[in-house]
Amino acid sequence: MLGVPVHRLNGLDAMDIFSNTVALSRMQFALTASIHMLWPTLTTGVGIYLVVIEGLWLKTRNPDYYYHARFWAKLYALNFGVGVATGIPMEFQFGTNWGPFSEAVGNFFGSVIGFEASWAFMLEAAFLGIMLFGWERVNPVIHYLSTILVAIGANLSTLWILTANSWMQTPAGGEMVKGKFIVHDYFQAILNPFMVKSVSHMFLATLETSLFVVGGISAWYMLQNRHQAFFARSFKIALAATLLVAPLQIYVGHLSAEQVYRWQPSKLAAMEAQWQTIPAGQSASWSLLAWPNNRTEENEWEVAIPQALGYLLELKPELSEPVLGLKEWQPQDRPRLVGLIYYSFRTMIVIGVLLAGLMGGSMVYWLLGRLSFEKIAQQRRLLWVWVWAAPLGFIAIDTGWIVRCTGRQPWTLYNQIRTADSASQIPASHVLVSLSAFAVTYLVLLIAYCYFGSRILRRGPNFDLPIPGVEVERPAIATEPAEFVADERPVEAQQ
Amino acid sequence: METLEYFLPQVWFAILALFLFLYVLLDGFDLGVGILSLTSSTEERRSILMTSLSNIWDANETWLVLMGGGLFGAFPLAYATILSALYIPILLMVFGFIFRAVAFEFREQARRKWFWNIAFGIGSFTAALGQGFALGAVLRGIDVDLSGHFVGTQWDWLSWQSIVVALTLIQSYVLIGSTYLVWKTTGDLQLTHYRTAKIAAWTTLVGAILITLGTPIFYQSARSRLFQQPLVYIFGLIPILAILLISQLISSLDRRQERMPFIWTISLFVLTFIGLALVVFPYIIPTQITIYEAAADPSSLVIMLIFIGFLIPVMLFYNLYQYIVFRGKITGETGGYEG
Repeated sequence: MLGVPVHRLNGLDAMDIFSNTVALSRMQFALTASIHMLWPTLTTGVGIYLVVIEGLWLKTRNPDYYYHARFWAKLYALNFGVGVATGIPMEFQFGTNWGPFSEAVGNFFGSVIGFEASWAFMLEAAFLGIMLFGWERVNPVIHYLSTILVAIGANLSTLWILTANSWMQTPAGGEMVKGKFIVHDYFQAILNPFMVKSVSHMFLATLETSLFVVGGISAWYMLQNRHQAFFARSFKIALAATLLVAPLQIYVGHLSAEQVYRWQPSKLAAMEAQWQTIPAGQSASWSLLAWPNNRTEENEWEVAIPQALGYLLELKPELSEPVLGLKEWQPQDRPRLVGLIYYSFRTMIVIGVLLAGLMGGSMVYWLLGRLSFEKIAQQRRLLWVWVWAAPLGFIAIDTGWIVRCTGRQPWTLYNQIRTADSASQIPASHVLVSLSAFAVTYLVLLIAYCYFGSRILRRGPNFDLPIPGVEVERPAIATEPAEFVADERPVEAQQ
Repeated sequence: METLEYFLPQVWFAILALFLFLYVLLDGFDLGVGILSLTSSTEERRSILMTSLSNIWDANETWLVLMGGGLFGAFPLAYATILSALYIPILLMVFGFIFRAVAFEFREQARRKWFWNIAFGIGSFTAALGQGFALGAVLRGIDVDLSGHFVGTQWDWLSWQSIVVALTLIQSYVLIGSTYLVWKTTGDLQLTHYRTAKIAAWTTLVGAILITLGTPIFYQSARSRLFQQPLVYIFGLIPILAILLISQLISSLDRRQERMPFIWTISLFVLTFIGLALVVFPYIIPTQITIYEAAADPSSLVIMLIFIGFLIPVMLFYNLYQYIVFRGKITGETGGYEG
């Protein structure tokens, strides 16, 4: 490949991690990326939700939808601010901590980061102001257009960043010449083998997570006996959407695992803690639980389902192609954190199945008529499950990214550029200081976000906002009076 | 093809200069208002200051993100070398950004606002300081080997010259922030910022004189550039024009004009920026690596021109549009999305 000395191992092998610039830079990137990721997830997913809600308002002119748009936008604004704040370090880190990598891949990867800024960020940023503050300054059509453009901007960001990352997984469209990636065909590089499925997987992940957050928050209000009819509406919209999204995501997730099998066999081996190669034609069992040991290169114990891997990958007990085991690679050429990858992968799958199951169960309730506006608030057990399911999507996304990026190791550009050769040569002490500062700062942000977010939730929707184009007196809440359950919170909590 | 290899990097140098200029101008007043918020006497005034930015701060900051992404794609070597050489100033800026960005929403929700007031003010100051040090270091030149890789130390950016540049940049942000507030506010608050604008105009002038005189004296490479024919006439003209503009600015502040101070300040920024761009060009990592050496593959530059270039007028248009939507004075606590 690059004539890299084989003794240069993956950063985490270092005796002393705190004096290893590569390891520290990796930790810094992993920390900032995994925490940052939580917020754009909602901005992209809830952005689409807001488009639907505001569209429903424009179509029906039912004030409920208008107040939904205003209420969720308030959470959106909080979320967006933290998303931007935590996102800016990401762009600069490529240069500050991964200079050699940036220089080598700038021709393609750098351009794509530029596309993201110009296609996505600017669109989102410019129209967000109108979306949040412009209700009384522009007419409803322009406002709706702004909401749509904000959602498009957010999702274009998913498109470009996943394109860039997919290209790191399956570099295409050019070749390495004298340490630099020279692009021959841009469209081949953009449409690299991982791109379409990875973009879809991430798009669905943000949407599904957002839907369960919207559903969970709505369920919480109903459990609190606050604005039940109002939140039954958002709950049902979210639930209806998961009918499509949750099963589709499992299917796309399955396709994503298949593409890993095809293009990144060492990652698949780590995901399955598969040390020995399973030859073609032999029965392939699927490991349910195991305890991988990197040193002895085997699993200390394992519970496996016979033939299941064969069914998962090819729908038959024996595989026509071998599944390569980790031992096929030298230790320095394969992912090291097998246990982390193995359990992250399983966590993601379990959550995906749980969320789909919750959707299925809720659908049964709906079909049985138990989710009607009169009865929905009585389904307390179901609603509590929704509340507890709200954070699961985030965990699935972060564990998924751990599988994706830790499993790609020891490469930054798969099979082309090693992680150890990608980092800037900054004194480890400096990276340690910045890493610690990021850890403290992001922790503060996470706590403050949860604190202020829960305050917004406790305060609830504001039904005193003027509706654009409506001058007449209107009731305090727009649902039928018989269903209205008054807010029983003390006044000071609502202010 | 030969001419293309010169032409494309020049086009991208111009585009990135445009992005950087828009950033310095727009986030300049944004950060300036943030720094000025440290001097706000009341909570209400601070609210007005932050409201004057609430709809635009993010788009303003995005010009830098755009410039960073463009630099990464068009001049990968410069992006890698400059950012790793300036690790500390860049991170100062990044942490400043983080705290000031979250302050907008968190402060609005918080009952006790002091922490987020400090986060906003100090964050703005730190971001400007980091940028000033980075600018100072780039003007001084970054030590690289023949292939453009950084060979200096992690503290090279710190020198008394870079301190002067950083302080001057902060002053100029305060100046443009003050004149923005003069334009956007009324009453006592406006009067306060006529005063801060005037003070900042003088302090910026002092810094600018020091830098203008210091650059040819201390930097050999800049000296030869400055006295080159025919550039020497342009460089001779810039200080004269600058003095004229500053006197116009100060007299417009004295006459209590509302919009002209902001416009004169913008003109000053344009002039300074042209001067700096001419000093730096054709280098992208002063004083050794030119744009031609650091440029990405011509095919990349073409693709980026297609994918980003056509969006530049569109981005300018919709940014302008939202300034028009939110035109007018800010009075009291209006403009929040809660009404």
